[in-house]
Amino acid sequence: MSVLKTEELKKIYGSDAAEVQALKGVSISVEQGEFVAVVGTSGSGKSTLLHMLGGIDRPTSGKVFVDGKDVFSLNDEELTIFRRRKIGFVFQAFNLVPTLNVYENIVFPIQLDGSAVDEEYVNSVITTLGLENLLNRLPNQLSGGQQQRAAIARALASKPAIVLADEPTGNLDSKTSMDVIGLLKVTGQKFSQTIVLITHNEAIAQMADRIIRIEDGNVYTQKQTLNGISGSENKGGDIND
Amino acid sequence: MTKVNNRSVIRRLALRDMISNRKMNCVVIVSIMLTCILFTALTSIGGSLINGAQQETMRQVGGNKMAGVKWVLPEDLEKLEADNYVFDVVYRIIVGYAVNEDMKLSAEFNYAGNDEAAKAMFSYPKTGRLPENIDDIAVSTLVLDSLGIEHKIGEKVPIKLDIDGNVLDYTFTLCGYWDGDKVALAQICWVSQAFIKEYAPTPSESFYSQEHVKYAGYYMVDFNYANSWDIEGKTNALIERLYEDGNAPDTGINWAYTTSSVDAGSLVCGIVMAFIVFAAGYLIIYNIFYINISANIRSYGLLKTIGTTSRQIKTMVRFRAALYCAVGIPLGLIAGTLLGKLLIKAVVTILNTYSADSYSISPKLLFLICLISAAFTFTTVMVSCSKPCRYAGNVSPIEALRYSGTDIHTKKKDKKTGKVTPLSIAHSNMMRSRKKTVVVVLSLTLSMVLVNTLFTVLGGIDRDKYVGNSIVGDIVIRHNSKTDLWDDLTKGVTTEMIEDIRTIDGADVHPVYFEKGSVVPQGKQLEQIRTLNSKYGSEESISIELDAALKGEYIANIYGIDEKLAECFEPIEGSIDIKKLMTGKYAIVHTYLWNAEGDSSVELYHAGDKITVECGGREHEYEVMAVCGVPYSISTKVYSIFSTQVIIPTDEYMSLTDEPAATCIMINTDDSSGRVKEQCRAYCDQKGCPLVYFDKQTYLDEFSDLLRMVKLLGGTLTAVLALIGILNFVNAVVTGIISRKREIAMMNAVGMTGSQTKRMLMWEGIYYALLTALFSAAGSTVLSLLFIKGAAKELFFFSYHFTLMPICIGVPVLLIISMIIPYAVYMKICQKGIVDRMRETE
Repeated sequence: MSVLKTEELKKIYGSDAAEVQALKGVSISVEQGEFVAVVGTSGSGKSTLLHMLGGIDRPTSGKVFVDGKDVFSLNDEELTIFRRRKIGFVFQAFNLVPTLNVYENIVFPIQLDGSAVDEEYVNSVITTLGLENLLNRLPNQLSGGQQQRAAIARALASKPAIVLADEPTGNLDSKTSMDVIGLLKVTGQKFSQTIVLITHNEAIAQMADRIIRIEDGNVYTQKQTLNGISGSENKGGDIND
Repeated sequence: MTKVNNRSVIRRLALRDMISNRKMNCVVIVSIMLTCILFTALTSIGGSLINGAQQETMRQVGGNKMAGVKWVLPEDLEKLEADNYVFDVVYRIIVGYAVNEDMKLSAEFNYAGNDEAAKAMFSYPKTGRLPENIDDIAVSTLVLDSLGIEHKIGEKVPIKLDIDGNVLDYTFTLCGYWDGDKVALAQICWVSQAFIKEYAPTPSESFYSQEHVKYAGYYMVDFNYANSWDIEGKTNALIERLYEDGNAPDTGINWAYTTSSVDAGSLVCGIVMAFIVFAAGYLIIYNIFYINISANIRSYGLLKTIGTTSRQIKTMVRFRAALYCAVGIPLGLIAGTLLGKLLIKAVVTILNTYSADSYSISPKLLFLICLISAAFTFTTVMVSCSKPCRYAGNVSPIEALRYSGTDIHTKKKDKKTGKVTPLSIAHSNMMRSRKKTVVVVLSLTLSMVLVNTLFTVLGGIDRDKYVGNSIVGDIVIRHNSKTDLWDDLTKGVTTEMIEDIRTIDGADVHPVYFEKGSVVPQGKQLEQIRTLNSKYGSEESISIELDAALKGEYIANIYGIDEKLAECFEPIEGSIDIKKLMTGKYAIVHTYLWNAEGDSSVELYHAGDKITVECGGREHEYEVMAVCGVPYSISTKVYSIFSTQVIIPTDEYMSLTDEPAATCIMINTDDSSGRVKEQCRAYCDQKGCPLVYFDKQTYLDEFSDLLRMVKLLGGTLTAVLALIGILNFVNAVVTGIISRKREIAMMNAVGMTGSQTKRMLMWEGIYYALLTALFSAAGSTVLSLLFIKGAAKELFFFSYHFTLMPICIGVPVLLIISMIIPYAVYMKICQKGIVDRMRETE
């Protein structure tokens, strides 16, 4: 069952002469529990795609379904609520609220929703990510790797349908990057989370089950990695063009 | 150190920085403008009042020169003209004074050395010219009016001129006149040089060595110094310099330059006002610079990394501040002068001074006001930006590059976990830049506290107390005393007039009778007068009076009153038994000595003493019942240097005098339709009646004028301060939200809805409002209880009431503003999508 699906997603910035087609009709789908890496050079449209998937930007045309729900049929307010329930975000930088401590940051979306925190689940996420001793720290007292781990914990805490990570290791050194992605993958598997990760680092992409390569706004290869083959056969979506 | 020529590059950098910060530019310039407006308006009013008072004194004195030497000869004039420290020397020559019987004002006859001399005496012909022919005369219109002569050149002016005791009948021809000034103590009349030669030739011997004092022909020389500082010292030095032999002439100093200088009270008031304006300006300008530098700290760090020294960065910030001043101050000066002009006009109208033109601001004074205000504003700006400037200069390159502008500087290692709600986040946000919060709150508090103080002061002024002291009964009628004659002042209301007024139906008439007599002091009182003489006798005029009293008698002001009037008396000592008083054996007394107000040892007679009064050639003895003065509003309002008021019942008064008359009449009435008042007023207003009518309304009007002035000035001051406070608040909130754009976008991305974000931001605004309320309430309470309450005791018409009403009214308004602004700003930034906001870098 595909937890995430796009249909002919198009995004055009500007108009007339200055028109830029960031996405030229992308249709992909991601299965429950899959770890997908989206790769591409800068300006290829991969970030735009991720923003559409997460519902923080609206497409010019096309549809996104998360858990079978047409995301852009919702208004802005509903979309925000949908996001905090169904989608976990990990950004490259500026991930955490500077005035909240690590624990507060982790449960921030849950508390915004007014729902009760599943303590047991959250604690196990925290332990898995090795954050148990940092819970009362403020973000500016953490290293970059620690900050990203806290961001991953936050993304997982509300048990979302998918976790979207936009170059989460862009600001980290390679060793820390591998550690963070390793943890992301481990926790994803442990809690059977669907993860979509953007990166331009091949080594990191290789850790995913499947790689979607995007160039000039078109998805042109979808490659099963070695990890993916062992899991499931041909989970691919359609290949355009 | 080698001087490096890097000015232009630093300036270019500062300028580019400025151009990229339009919003900040506007806010800074507006706040500099507001500060400058306040300074300018306040100095304008202050300057105008001081200058007006000075001008008025000069016109009383009759001259605008700083000092002068009196009764000298032409050689003295030459000496003075040759002196290097003396400027604008003018002279006039004394002739004499007019003794025409029909002339009711004093007119001095002089010869003016030149046009400037006449101008210096405010007596330069507006029509015609100064005298040239022997019978020419130039006078003021007041002199012409009092002689009943038409204002026309060529008219004959017959004068009885007293020249050193010899009266000369002379008919002059009018050659020039000007509008006379009622303020002046004497009117100057100019005659020609030919006339002087004939009737007042230059004497051969010095004025000071004469046997019989003669004035005619001597020179009065007036002059200025470079400035009006220490005129007395300069004059003494001048005399020592010019008259080494010690035969120096008398000198005079224009007291307009000395007495009109501000008294301690107004000086303190001025300093406090200046400080308030300074504080308001400081708070906002400091905050803007601080916020801006925090936001741009990265670029300063970057500049340091590439080799800009901390000194160069400081120069950059200061240069920027100076540029802002260059724009803001001129604008502020223009607006401030206009505002000041409007306020002065209003104040002068309210004060109803009849020499309003004295209060207008001359270009020279305006220039001075602008200079002072500009200097004040510039200093405020420079002081305000000095701390942010140091902060920018001392930033370390690494730290600055890491600094996100929204970081929290907390020494606390950890933060306790709590429930996350929009309110709790708002709270943490407020705490993240405590300095900014405090400054904004203080800025708002300043105007709130001022409004509250103003309100307490205005609310505390007790109309009844004020008017109660001014008037006893419903109506008081007295002589208009324009003639300034003693009899008119004290016995201006004749028995016929009293009878006339008695005929008014419904008027309950109580005349306050008056007669002059003398007190014959006895042993105990004589002893006390001696003591008073040793205490106050150093003043010549006092010792003359007291010496006279010691010889056996002094002035008694005898009042005759009825039962109703007796009720108005509030004894200082003893008590008033009206029935007993009416027997005629008793008197209420009060002794007055000039310059000794408040000294109880002046009261010669105490309850139980016997007082002997002489009146109409007979002596009368009374027993003193109580010590009490006649209430001011029904007294004669004229004072002798040393006198005792003896208050006795009307019947007893009638037996003392052959010519009974009242100083005034108190009238009570039950009539609410105003008919009685109307009739009383009509009686006074009829042609030929010298009486004037006063009632409570007269005083209430005077009183509301005073209040209106306080309200106007205080209101303007607070309004501008409030504007500064709100500007500071808006600036802090707007920049606070804009610098957190990315943070807010991230929060939106992970699921904070628009309404939650708005709530968070509005809570932040509410925090400001609530803190302001708290600070204002505390500040106002302290100020009110500590200062106003104390000051209130000094003013008889002030009843102190504690109030925080204005704050209670102001806070809801502030709350609304503090909710609307964050809301509006958020709506504005939301026009861009989350993705754009997250991408944006400062």
